[in-house]
Amino acid sequence: MAPEKIKFPVNLSVLILFGLILLSLQLMSSAMQESSQLNAMYSWLLLFNALGSVVLLILVGANIYSLIQHTKRREAGSRLATRMVSLFVVLALAPAVIVFYFSMQFLHQGIDSWFNVEIDRAMEDALELSQASLDQRMRWHLKQTQQLTEKLEDSSENMVALELENLRELSGASEMTLFSRQGRIIASSSINPSDILPSLPDEHIWLQLRQNAVYVALAPVHEEELMVRVIVTVKAREPQYLQALYPVPVRIADLADSVEFAFVRYQEMNYLRNSLKMSFSLALSLVLLMSLLAAIWVAFISVRNITAPVKELVKGTQAVASGHYDQQLPVMAQDDLGFLVESFNDMTHRIAQARDETRKAGFEVENQRAYLETILANLTAGVISFDAIYKIRTANQAAYRIFHIHVNQFIGRTLLELVQSYSELAEPLKSIQRLLEQADDIWQQRIAFLGPNGRQELLCRGTPLFSQEGFRVGAVVVFDDVTDLIQAQKNAAWGEVARRLAHEIKNPLTPIQLSAERLQHKLADKLEPTDADILQRSTRTIVQQVEAMKEMVDDFSEYAKPSKKQTVDIDLPSLVQEVLALYALKSGVKFKTDYEAGLLVINGDPVSIRQVLHNLIKNALEAIDAHGLIEISLHRVQKNNTDFIEIALYDDGPGIKDGQIEKIFEPYVTTKAKGTGLGLAIVKKIIEEHGGAIWVDTSRKVGAGFIIQLPACNYEQL
Amino acid sequence: MRASGSSRRLCYSLYCVVLLWLLPFSGYADKFAAEVKQAGVTLQGDSYVLSADIVYQLSEKAMDALQNGVPLFWDLQVKLQQRRDILWDKTLVDTAIRYRIQYHALLNMYRVRNESNGEVYNFSTLSAALDLMSAVRNFRVIEKSELAPEKQYLCAVKVRFDRDALPLPLRPIAYIDPQWYLSSDWTLWHLKK
Repeated sequence: MAPEKIKFPVNLSVLILFGLILLSLQLMSSAMQESSQLNAMYSWLLLFNALGSVVLLILVGANIYSLIQHTKRREAGSRLATRMVSLFVVLALAPAVIVFYFSMQFLHQGIDSWFNVEIDRAMEDALELSQASLDQRMRWHLKQTQQLTEKLEDSSENMVALELENLRELSGASEMTLFSRQGRIIASSSINPSDILPSLPDEHIWLQLRQNAVYVALAPVHEEELMVRVIVTVKAREPQYLQALYPVPVRIADLADSVEFAFVRYQEMNYLRNSLKMSFSLALSLVLLMSLLAAIWVAFISVRNITAPVKELVKGTQAVASGHYDQQLPVMAQDDLGFLVESFNDMTHRIAQARDETRKAGFEVENQRAYLETILANLTAGVISFDAIYKIRTANQAAYRIFHIHVNQFIGRTLLELVQSYSELAEPLKSIQRLLEQADDIWQQRIAFLGPNGRQELLCRGTPLFSQEGFRVGAVVVFDDVTDLIQAQKNAAWGEVARRLAHEIKNPLTPIQLSAERLQHKLADKLEPTDADILQRSTRTIVQQVEAMKEMVDDFSEYAKPSKKQTVDIDLPSLVQEVLALYALKSGVKFKTDYEAGLLVINGDPVSIRQVLHNLIKNALEAIDAHGLIEISLHRVQKNNTDFIEIALYDDGPGIKDGQIEKIFEPYVTTKAKGTGLGLAIVKKIIEEHGGAIWVDTSRKVGAGFIIQLPACNYEQL
Repeated sequence: MRASGSSRRLCYSLYCVVLLWLLPFSGYADKFAAEVKQAGVTLQGDSYVLSADIVYQLSEKAMDALQNGVPLFWDLQVKLQQRRDILWDKTLVDTAIRYRIQYHALLNMYRVRNESNGEVYNFSTLSAALDLMSAVRNFRVIEKSELAPEKQYLCAVKVRFDRDALPLPLRPIAYIDPQWYLSSDWTLWHLKK
């Protein structure tokens, strides 16, 4: 990852904004100086700053709103941001408010201290003094003017103008004018000969004059110059008015002006005192408000910058918590948080690695397990494992094949529970259970029972399992169906005997028979009739017995040789009918047949199957002693997903004794006086060679019953 | 005690800021506004001259300020516009007579100064001083030759109280307080030739 540039916490626009705020505030502050040129812009600056505050307020408000929304949604980093912003605000607010408070205090006290009663009094007194001084001067001028009128009264109308000139010079007035009653100028004299038009009194003065007969007042001639205007009535003549303008000495005028200026200024300030306080407070408040808002806004920006990596970290952590270990966060800064982020990336990388390794290991273990399971499932031996309380934990497919109970029904149950559901397996299951409970070491036992397919023999080996602490945690039982093996061993042994017999016994029989016949042939004529008779009977017996022995040996060889020579599809009902046709002539015997509809075809050697039927029917006939009923039925049955054709053969003879049922199919086991005892053995051999099974139907109480099941040819599927 | 006073002042300041901001949008009742009673432009010789009668009303606060030596300024604004059909009206004349009135404590009189021509008048009463400002006579607006006889012209007169000429501390208040709303509305009429 390329290292990123370290950013400033506050970017350029913020700096510019701050500059603007400061400039604006500074301008406002300058504008408050009376002499400043910015004075005229004060209102605009105030408005601008107020607007700035409002904009900042909106910015801060929007930030607060967004923060609240984030906090409500419990977004990553929002609580940290809230806390930091609060801290910032408190830190900024506290000193600012304190400074603000004391500034206001000083401001108000400072302004108040400008004004006090003594200065008030002094100002008013100074003004009064000026006024008194001017009043005195006015009175003096009035008196002077009144004295002058006496002189004027004496002078003739023609001389008035000249007299006026004299009087003006005498009195020191700057201008003297005589008005008629109607206000017309009679005569005028001025210190400045260029002033042709004298200063005219206005309506107010005339009004006052008519009321009081005299008028005296200060008149500002120009803006700076002060005059005392005196108008008096000249009594002697028709009422006339003399107006005299006396200049106030420049020094006095200046002083009075100065006093007035100071007084007015002071009065104005006094009047504006509250407004002044307010406007200063306003400015101060604006400054505080803007700085605070700007600070808060910057706080928001800074906090956002600070919490951004934290937010990323929280998100990353959540992702890791939910199992996404590939999370890599961008490193934004080379500070402590950047270090943290790098460490986080490192950590997730390592976790991801560890997870991958674990997953790989788990995968391998799983593979191993699956492999073992496959091996176990494909074992011909049944394997069942038990837990500590003898509940079955696992069982393989072979167990199912041997017991014909589906694997699903094994799991989680004890053997005794299975016994209740499968009563036919009660014997072996109980035996295994007993052995499990008793054995403390490896045990081995051969268990024989009559299963659904006849007699079955199991070779069981059990191993109890112990934990490291020595507690019994379960057991494993491995069992093989050795029925076929044992049968094969027996068959092989009998086959060997038969072969030996055929070889060893049959060979001398022909010479014995030939010799006996030769004896008969040679000696019969030479002997006495009685002796010849004896000879003939003896040789006949020899020949007969040899024949019988030959027959017996043939039977043996028949038994010893494989029966399934040439296989074709055999239609069983027609085969059975064919065989029965041979016995149809026998009187006293009834045959009852019951064939299921549909194809009942097997694949096998027809000669062998016919022999099976002959043997069984012959047996039955012998059992019923040529009088009775023989039932033959053919059915299609399904067993372990395979179709079988079931041939059931029943007679109503004396039946088979219980003790013989188990051994009836073994060679040389017979209940009959006559016979080799090989009939049923051959039958069983042929059936087994055809992949079928034969057993005695023990459920039938009358006579004997044999059930044969042979694999069916499934033509229906074709 | 001081603290609460201070906080009240702060509140007041903030209130002022908000009001100041809202101000341009608010229409205050012009109880103390000046009123142009009558105005007319007539031809006198070669010039059109304005004659107008204006009634100035001083609110209590304005009076108070005046009595305390604060000078007050009014501008009598005069405009003459030529009506045009397609374009906006063309302003031919935009001039003003600026009056300043101030109280002089020493002489106990009101001094009115016409800032436009520098003339100064002194009055012992306020009403007399305002009377001078009220009566506008023969104020030359425009030469006859400058107007085309076939065109239409619009005259407008307004008295504007100059709040920005007030002392600085008074200004924010002057923008808020209706007592300082002393300006009149525009009075418009068509020039009759």
